[in-house]
Amino acid sequence: MKRFMNLLRKEIRELVTAQLVVSLVFTLALFNFIGRTSRKEVEKAMGTQTIAVLDLDRSASSLGIVTGLESANFKIESMEGRPKEEAIQAAGRGEAKLLLVIPSGFGDSLQGLAPREVETYSFMRSFSLIGARSQVIIRSVISALNDVASDRFLRAKLPDHDPDSLKNPIKTKDFVIVKDRMAEGSANMVAGLVSSQSLLIPVVLMMIVIYSSQMVISAVAMEKQNKTLETLLTVPIRRTSIITAKMLSAGLVGLISAFVYMVGFRSFMGGLGADEVQAASGAGGAGIMRQLGLYFDTTGYIVLGAALFLAILVALAMAMILGVLAEDFRSAQNMIMPLMFMVMVPYFISMFADIATVSLPVKIFILLIPFSHPFLVSQNLYLGNYGMIFGGLAYMLVVFIVLVGFAAKVFSSDKILTMKLRFGKKRGAAA
Amino acid sequence: MDMVLRVEGLRKTYGKLEALTGIDFEVRPGEVFALIGPNGAGKTTALRICATLLTVTGGQVTFLGRDLAKEPDFVREKISYLPEEAGAYKNMKGLDYLKFMAAFYGRTAAEEKEYVDRAVGITDLGARLEDKVGTFSKGMTRKILLARALMTKPVLAILDEPTSGLDVLNALEVRSMIRRYVKEGTSVLLSSHNMLEIEFLSDRVSLIDHGRILDTGTPGALKDMHKANNLEEVFRSAVR
Repeated sequence: MKRFMNLLRKEIRELVTAQLVVSLVFTLALFNFIGRTSRKEVEKAMGTQTIAVLDLDRSASSLGIVTGLESANFKIESMEGRPKEEAIQAAGRGEAKLLLVIPSGFGDSLQGLAPREVETYSFMRSFSLIGARSQVIIRSVISALNDVASDRFLRAKLPDHDPDSLKNPIKTKDFVIVKDRMAEGSANMVAGLVSSQSLLIPVVLMMIVIYSSQMVISAVAMEKQNKTLETLLTVPIRRTSIITAKMLSAGLVGLISAFVYMVGFRSFMGGLGADEVQAASGAGGAGIMRQLGLYFDTTGYIVLGAALFLAILVALAMAMILGVLAEDFRSAQNMIMPLMFMVMVPYFISMFADIATVSLPVKIFILLIPFSHPFLVSQNLYLGNYGMIFGGLAYMLVVFIVLVGFAAKVFSSDKILTMKLRFGKKRGAAA
Repeated sequence: MDMVLRVEGLRKTYGKLEALTGIDFEVRPGEVFALIGPNGAGKTTALRICATLLTVTGGQVTFLGRDLAKEPDFVREKISYLPEEAGAYKNMKGLDYLKFMAAFYGRTAAEEKEYVDRAVGITDLGARLEDKVGTFSKGMTRKILLARALMTKPVLAILDEPTSGLDVLNALEVRSMIRRYVKEGTSVLLSSHNMLEIEFLSDRVSLIDHGRILDTGTPGALKDMHKANNLEEVFRSAVR
């Protein structure tokens, strides 16, 4: 144990370099900076904005539009008394992002159901999506006015009928059924909520797998590059202890790196307003999700944790073997690619396809990738597919045992010194 | 007399390439035994097998009477190996590297300290040991690696080109150091291209070429046998 701890300490010290700390601090600071900047921009966009209005009608209806915009927190800059061309020039010079032109006769046209066009002129001073918000608001104000006008007309012509029933004679009431539970709501909303609940799982998995694997591959490759491996293999410590120390240290440092990355990522996403969106959808959907049993209880979290843990172990064992193949640090960087693909394939498939509906060969291919199973765990937990869950966990465990056994065999054989793949070098140059 | 190391009919193949064709030699207690030969002769392969790094294809290697293939952990406790192109952890300070290596061998903190103190003496690097290994010259790194190999007073030190990369003065110092440790009971199995070094250090020598041993004997006996003035001439005569 003393020898193992000695080696583990050394492995951690080797991995936690000044470069790693600087890169993590930089990542954290960068994400934080982007998040803060984005948050400021969102706040600015959501705050009071100026809209220029040229009301050529001055009727109750046109004043209704202006009042509606004011109540939507817009500052109105009146262009009254100017001709349209001059109003466009003036609004463009000011801070308004949009000029609204209400034509004369607008009010009468509403009464007579002979629509007149309201014109909007957007000043594109930047191309951010947030900047186009004012036009969206105007559309909703005008849509509300359309509703009011058509309702007024229908009430006048057909006083015994509800205008809404006349405009929408077919009503819908949506129900969602999951297993034997039913709740009122739309399938789209439930799917969106499930996806937002498990959004973080693949990102966390990707980050940890990539960081940890890179660490362990580099740890082995650096021993080769610095010519320290031969000496290490002749000191009195078991080869399995060498493998374990390298995997454990890489796992720990990878976990910390991924955690730092996630903190940064969260601050970045928070800056983009994801927190507010999640809170809003969560507040409305929490009841439905609970009714449908679509939430994790303690057992669910344990199963999910076990799946993530096993996936990390599998990644570390694979990385250890790939590290043996790498001749030096440079080739180690290339060795990480197959592992990254193995994580990304199920990630993208889980985003865009349903494993239950894909063809059998594709399904087998996905299930053979050990990293697919953590992606599927949350869905299977919700749907009560315990056979799939425990089958997946057992499969990952078997893959891990086989890989560690193989890694131990490689470390105990000549292959640790003789097996290598070269990248970026010509055979002759390397010989 | 019990041999420290006995190599019998040792064969090693890499695919179709036969690196060792069934060689025999032994290392006696308190002697320096050298393998000399050209590049690709099989010296490093033989040394790596004796250091438990490579497996044997055929034949047997016994260390203190125990089968090396069956008890590699026992062997690793009692030997030390200095590879020809060895390095040390560049981000570690010289002293920390020695402490790290001593911790694998010492049973107590006092024993570890004894090993480190001995290594510090061998390196003669003084305050530079507080610097990172990455800042050391090739010669300084070689000295610290040699100190690591000798600090535990191993039963058998396996040294592959021990003075590789050292200047004349440092090489002389290293050779006398090896001699001193042999007097204190360590046996040495070494390989070198440097025939003068072999002649100075070795009690017995085996000439190896194309994976087979051509001749074995003391440097003097080999010179007499081949009517040569030095080991270079002996080697030339043997490979003809």
